[in-house]
Amino acid sequence: MEPHIDAGLVSDCVHCGFCLPTCPTYVLWGEEMDSPRGRIQLMRQHLEGEPLTPTAAGHFDACLGCMACVTACPSGVQYGTLIEQTRVVVEERHPRPWPERALRGLVFGLFPHPRRLAVLKGPLRLYQWLGSPLRDRLPGRLPALAALAPPVRPAVPLPARLPALGTRRAVVGMLTGCVQRAFFPDVNAATARVLAAEGCDVVIPPGQGCCGALSVHSGRREEAARFARGIVDTFDAAGIDALVVNAAGCGSSLKELGDLLAGDPGYAGRAAALAAKVTDFAELLGRLGPVAPRHPLPVTVAYHDACHLAHAQGVRSQPRELLRGIPGLVLREIADPELCCGSAGVWNVLNPGPAAELGARKARDVLATGARWLVTANPGCLMQIGAGVRAAGGSIRTAHTAQVLDASIRGVRLSAAPGVG
Amino acid sequence: MTAQIAGMPAAAVATPASTAEVAEVVRGAAGGELALVVRGGGTRQDWALPPQRLDLIVETSRLCGIVEHAAGDLVVVVRAGTPLCQVQEALRPAGQQLALDEPLPGATVGGTVAVNAAGPRRMLYGTVRDLLIGVTVVRADGVVAKAGGKVVKNVAGYDLGKLVAGSYGTLGVITECAFRLHPLPAARRFVSVRVDGPEEAGRALSAVLGAQVVPSALEIDTDPLTVTALVEGVPAGVAQRAADLEKLLGDGTTSAETPPPGWGTYPWRPGDVGIKLTSVLSRVPYLLTAAGVTAQLHDVALRLRGSAGTGVLYAGLPGDTDPGSVIGVVSDLRAATRAGAGHCVVLTAPPAIRSRVDVWGHVDGLDLMRRVKEQFDPLGILAPGRFVGGI
Amino acid sequence: MTIDRLAERLRGFLQPEQVLTDRQQLRTYECDGLTHYRVVPAIVVLPRTAQECAGTVRACVDAGVPFVARGSGTGLSGGALPHADGALIVTSQLRAIREVAPQDERAVVEPGVINLQVTRAASPHGYYYAPDPSSQQICSIGGNVAENSGGAHCLKYGFTTNHVTGVEIVTPDGDLVRLGGRTPDPPGYDLLGAFVGSEGTLGIATEVTVRLVRLPETVRTLLAAFPGTDQAGAATSAIIAAGVVPAAVEMMDALAIEAAEAAVHCGYPQGAGAVLIVELDGPHAEVEAQFAAVEGFCREHGAFEIRIAADDAERALFWKGRKSAFAAVGRISPDYIVQDGVIPRTALPQVLTRIAELAGEHGVRVANVFHAGDGNLHPLVLFDESVPGQAERAEAVSGAILDLCVEHGGSITGEHGVGFDKAKHLPTMYSAADLDTMQLVRCAFDPRGLSNPGKVFPTPRLCGEVPGRRKGTHPLHQPGVAEVF
Repeated sequence: MEPHIDAGLVSDCVHCGFCLPTCPTYVLWGEEMDSPRGRIQLMRQHLEGEPLTPTAAGHFDACLGCMACVTACPSGVQYGTLIEQTRVVVEERHPRPWPERALRGLVFGLFPHPRRLAVLKGPLRLYQWLGSPLRDRLPGRLPALAALAPPVRPAVPLPARLPALGTRRAVVGMLTGCVQRAFFPDVNAATARVLAAEGCDVVIPPGQGCCGALSVHSGRREEAARFARGIVDTFDAAGIDALVVNAAGCGSSLKELGDLLAGDPGYAGRAAALAAKVTDFAELLGRLGPVAPRHPLPVTVAYHDACHLAHAQGVRSQPRELLRGIPGLVLREIADPELCCGSAGVWNVLNPGPAAELGARKARDVLATGARWLVTANPGCLMQIGAGVRAAGGSIRTAHTAQVLDASIRGVRLSAAPGVG
Repeated sequence: MTAQIAGMPAAAVATPASTAEVAEVVRGAAGGELALVVRGGGTRQDWALPPQRLDLIVETSRLCGIVEHAAGDLVVVVRAGTPLCQVQEALRPAGQQLALDEPLPGATVGGTVAVNAAGPRRMLYGTVRDLLIGVTVVRADGVVAKAGGKVVKNVAGYDLGKLVAGSYGTLGVITECAFRLHPLPAARRFVSVRVDGPEEAGRALSAVLGAQVVPSALEIDTDPLTVTALVEGVPAGVAQRAADLEKLLGDGTTSAETPPPGWGTYPWRPGDVGIKLTSVLSRVPYLLTAAGVTAQLHDVALRLRGSAGTGVLYAGLPGDTDPGSVIGVVSDLRAATRAGAGHCVVLTAPPAIRSRVDVWGHVDGLDLMRRVKEQFDPLGILAPGRFVGGI
Repeated sequence: MTIDRLAERLRGFLQPEQVLTDRQQLRTYECDGLTHYRVVPAIVVLPRTAQECAGTVRACVDAGVPFVARGSGTGLSGGALPHADGALIVTSQLRAIREVAPQDERAVVEPGVINLQVTRAASPHGYYYAPDPSSQQICSIGGNVAENSGGAHCLKYGFTTNHVTGVEIVTPDGDLVRLGGRTPDPPGYDLLGAFVGSEGTLGIATEVTVRLVRLPETVRTLLAAFPGTDQAGAATSAIIAAGVVPAAVEMMDALAIEAAEAAVHCGYPQGAGAVLIVELDGPHAEVEAQFAAVEGFCREHGAFEIRIAADDAERALFWKGRKSAFAAVGRISPDYIVQDGVIPRTALPQVLTRIAELAGEHGVRVANVFHAGDGNLHPLVLFDESVPGQAERAEAVSGAILDLCVEHGGSITGEHGVGFDKAKHLPTMYSAADLDTMQLVRCAFDPRGLSNPGKVFPTPRLCGEVPGRRKGTHPLHQPGVAEVF
């Protein structure tokens, strides 16, 4: 199908500007064309026949896809759909200069592939041992990429099926993800243990691939569809009630699996059925209600809304309630919670400068809460904010919601996610 | 009343009874390039500078009465020559008020607007600029112009009411004013405390400002040094807030339904020197200290009174104070107000002093003001020389 | 050609990304919150300091290029509509909060600072910035100053003009001048009072000093559902007549409720023909006594359901429906006009009846949202541009509503400003002499007519000579710098 931007969706925008203060690039630069309202205007121009200039493409590329604007919009403009459509147009029609092509090739040849990421862990460990004077002499965006990465941890093998503790309440599949699996194996382990403790049989098919989220969010639709078919093949015959995802970006993308594969007769029905089962970790636990007893965890935590959880999936209250349900835990709110931390999938790799600014801003607000722990539900955010805090010379421990619950349920001390200790 | 303004004699006095008549008079004056000054209640003719030239006094005594009182809309339209107290009397039966104090009894609405006069309750209700919603003026060329209207909320066109408020009759002759009104409070209470020195006064002021009593006024008087807060509202609320104030202000606090002596009046008598001092709130205690020091230094009887809650104080000196001392006092006070981002303006003074002292002090935007005057009164016939920068 | 030279001069003292001339980038600035009118500016400039802003204006003056200031671009009267041959000076990068001084009840901010951010900065100290336009989460303080913005709470607290004590402006000559400051009653004309609400025609604010107001001890909010607007209006009148000054009294009719419900799921009572939101704030004892009375008036005048906000979250939900109402209408109608007019509050029933008749006569729907306490109506005229003739009919209804407001002694705008949209309606409210007098101020500030030309006034006034006193003294008048008229 010829890539297109839906004119009807473009005309839904009434130009009220309510999206502007929630848009990270507008907050950074204060320019109309780097705001959702301005980008929709650029889409409109494209529909009216204006050519897709490198300048316009640059403004589309600069969008983090955080969807904060969607939450803020009183007119219900489907910006998420619009920017995805636009990115496809940009990918097809906008010839990128070679260095940019090379970097994009590297990123998309790496991140969606857990095994390749695993291989990278060796060099990364070496890189982390280098020390900063040497690191600073490495070229271009490579230091930015590596500065984000957490200290490398050994992988924790997960069983293919973890039986429920006590009465079984559900059979759930679990997505292990790419970055999550490679860099945050503890998070996956904690997720599985909490699910089992809360009465779920957890099905963890080995050899599951990327869900395609990174590709979808970057306009690489064909690549995304290829990954998505793999996920459908892996999970639709697994006999699960729900597919639990603990990475916000993957979850939001998988919930739209039906749309992605709608044009594929062999997959459309199965994809839609699987998409209906996709649920965020906190969302599922909120629905099930707690059964496992919680042990006190006397910690102060700041909860950060991952964009693809809060804005794209509307999951805000459930993780907070899960945290508040832990005796002794004090929950703090972060100022400007709607604002993205700058991670945004691979955006921070492609735009290291502005990403660092956003990270610094978020780190400042996080540190201002006085919390000892930062909790969020997305590996990208953990890395990004962790790096921001380090750059600010501060220190905060980071953890996924699942790890906090896991520690409370098991009655052990909360151990830091790889990040800043 | 004599045919003179601040000692300057006039050849004629006109007493027009309508806006149209005012227009006719002003047109006539403009034709002959005759300088004119408007007189309302005549309470502030010795304020500001005397006119540089004067041919005609336009009295507003016949331009009197309430045009419309829309009680349900809390709006009144009055002619400029109406005494302020008459307006209040007319509104009282409806349980309403024009929330402007009357520091000098007998003042008219037009005069009050022209000098932007205000008293203690400016803290809650604001001043003329906040209450005036519509105005009719006769321009220097005799053209009648209106701005604003009879509704409280209105952003159509320029707000000329703001421009004429406090313009001392130099931009046009005000003939009619529309004001927003407020309900008369059912109860009120004045809570006063004597304080020992500016520092203690400062503590009392901060305590009231930081509390949740929402005073209508927060006044200070230096003779003797007293802080007074006024609360207005429903009886139960006022009782509670007065009790809160008594607790805040501590021992020796008195509470009454009637105002303390001197409330809402200027700390000077006719013929004295009257000065207006402004400062940011946090520097009001400093201003009190500075005033005390300069009074001692120049050995003068300087009395301060005013709205500490908005940073607008008035200072009075006896009219027979040595002019040299007055100049010294004004210079010191000007320095003190500058430190509080404020101004020191000599509102009134005997001729011998007025001629020797810089009454207005530094004025920001003077160039633009001259350009405004030039546009409104190119011939310079409206109260020439009375205002800032010789306007 | 002129623009190329102007761009070159501007790039001499600004960063490349501060001067936009790319057509697609320029087009993102072609309208503000009022999208019926679109004009692509010749050049967009994004100054980061007051000096850069002044330099930009001077460069425009020298080139004879008109300039228009824009903040967040949320205005609803086209006040920031660009000039096709002019510069658009955008203040969105002038966004520092310079000082919060609770001890002086003041804050000093740059014009691009967002309204709500002032309150956020002040609230840890127990203070806030009172004017709260519905767009407060994005509208800029500079824009508020230009339009003299109001908001739901201005019934009790007043408008922008009552809360701004000083500005630094770039005059239309390109000079930086201070009007007012931190203290009240500065000597001289109240040029600040004239500047606030002058819609960018007297210069550009580069710094604004605002009053901070103590956060109230108690805020009580109720939502009352009535069978219709008449009953809600009667309840409002009763509240005001009893001498209560609520912080806000807001009304929405059935269609506006439907839109808000669709957009933000505010959960207003089912079957309401009108809802009133009444908010009281102040000292606890005062509010409690009056709140009971307000509740009584609502019941007395036919409220069939009254909800009292139990906490901040519920209060926020009441307000969410109201504050998002304009944009929410996009959910129930493809196109709509947001109207803004004022009537004496007591005329509300007649005016609403007449608006309904007008809508019926022209075959369009009108949703009503208003600040009932001060008679500020916001009729939303709904139409579908794709249906031939509907846009014209909607336009006709919208215009007739303004005439109706003036007939009842009201105003053609209570808070959105005249801008470009309503300049043609201004003569229904003011005589030629009135408009001429207002323009005397314009001539004093901007004799060349370069500052936001074509706005507010339907026809410009010829200003004659630039005041002669300045000749020989002003730097602009030095040889070669500026043309002297």
